[in-house]
Amino acid sequence: MTSNRSKNGTGMIEFRGVNKWFGTLNVLRDITLSVEPREVVVVCGPSGSGKSTLIRCINGLETIRDGDLVVDGQRLGDPATNMTRLRTEIGFVFQSFNLYPHKTALENVTLAPIHVRKIPRAEAEKAGRELLAKVGLADKVNAYPAQLSGGQQQRVAIARCLGMRPKIMLFDEPTSALDPEMISEVLDVMVAVAEEGMTMMVVTHEMGFARKVAQRVVFMDAGAIVESGTPDEFFSHPKTDRSRAFLSKILRH
Amino acid sequence: MLENFSFRTIVEYLPLFGQGLVTTVWLSVLSFAGALAVGIGLAAMNLQRGRLFRIPAKAYIDAVRATPLLAQLYFLYFGLPRLGIILPELVVGILALSLNSGAYVAEIIRAGILSIPRGQVEAGVASGMTYVQRMRLVILPQAFKVTIPPLLGQAIVLVKDSALLSLIAVAELTRAGQLLASDRFMPAEGFITIAAFYLLLYYGLKGLAALSGRWLGLAGART
Repeated sequence: MTSNRSKNGTGMIEFRGVNKWFGTLNVLRDITLSVEPREVVVVCGPSGSGKSTLIRCINGLETIRDGDLVVDGQRLGDPATNMTRLRTEIGFVFQSFNLYPHKTALENVTLAPIHVRKIPRAEAEKAGRELLAKVGLADKVNAYPAQLSGGQQQRVAIARCLGMRPKIMLFDEPTSALDPEMISEVLDVMVAVAEEGMTMMVVTHEMGFARKVAQRVVFMDAGAIVESGTPDEFFSHPKTDRSRAFLSKILRH
Repeated sequence: MLENFSFRTIVEYLPLFGQGLVTTVWLSVLSFAGALAVGIGLAAMNLQRGRLFRIPAKAYIDAVRATPLLAQLYFLYFGLPRLGIILPELVVGILALSLNSGAYVAEIIRAGILSIPRGQVEAGVASGMTYVQRMRLVILPQAFKVTIPPLLGQAIVLVKDSALLSLIAVAELTRAGQLLASDRFMPAEGFITIAAFYLLLYYGLKGLAALSGRWLGLAGART
């Protein structure tokens, strides 16, 4: 689905010939990828293929060696780019949630809006309660993370990102640390976010999610993008041996 | 044997012990406050990426931990006047305890900050917090909780170390025991009494540690 790609080729997220090394290991190889506004891209591939590193570069949790990475019109690594400011536009959902354990669910959601966005406390709390209600946790507003299940914690983490009103949301294997029965409650929230038109990049192996909301699936192996296509193309007619081998492993059971 | 043990003399000297106890308490409080200030400063230096601050902090901490407190105390008490700095004994004593204990406090604080999982830092970074905001809102409140118990342990060590100040004639608790021992030749009475008072202080601090533990547990410290 390339119809929504803008003519000049400047998407919300633009990788152009990006490379990254960890020591001598080439973890990202010549990545070129454009994500359009409101597009949902699922990134999959075997473990160690560089999927997480790819999305961690977008908000500067990792830095790139060479190539260009332009996010929301700002070039990363450019002295003119205020990285701290740019990060407020990018929500990041971690595999291990990373909620603040000393803060309640509501405080987790309102902390950055109050201190980073400088939104008045009352207003931030009102928005925070609405967001927690939206992710189905209206009754857990005052609970600490330790009192919540993994699925509930991840939903708070998504609400925490939404509280910043980001333009982009990045998800790094958001359901990999969850018990099976909690995966769908998190995916449902992610589907709802996608349907509201959020620009999303999601590292996941949840193929049901990909089919439901993704415009594109990107398959990575050994640091390179091997294949990219619509979920239907990718799942039904994988083009490369490596993607076929990968799919046969994750779809077998 | 016990007929030689004079409880009456102990009672007679109680006001002296009381004064000594009070002195030990407030000089320990002041010294610990000083140690916290020194420790926070050193820990902040030690956590910097740049060597400019890290190397002097590490050198200081090593120097303090590698040498006896008594040597440090004598250096300040006998050495400083030779350098033209003359301070009252009590000030020298508080200074020595602050500078000594500060090195240990610095390591406790540093360990506390480093014990906070990397994911917490990343969560703060990802939401656009500056370094100072991350420290203030995310890292320090969590580190604070894990450092309280070892800091109280260090406070107990400091109280006992303050006994060394008797050697530079500070009229604290141990000095009171020495006076009884030398005035009346009653070392058993003198030193058993101060031991009892130190035990009292120890239980006081331990109670405080238990209270703080309960309070921290209530505040949702578990992860």
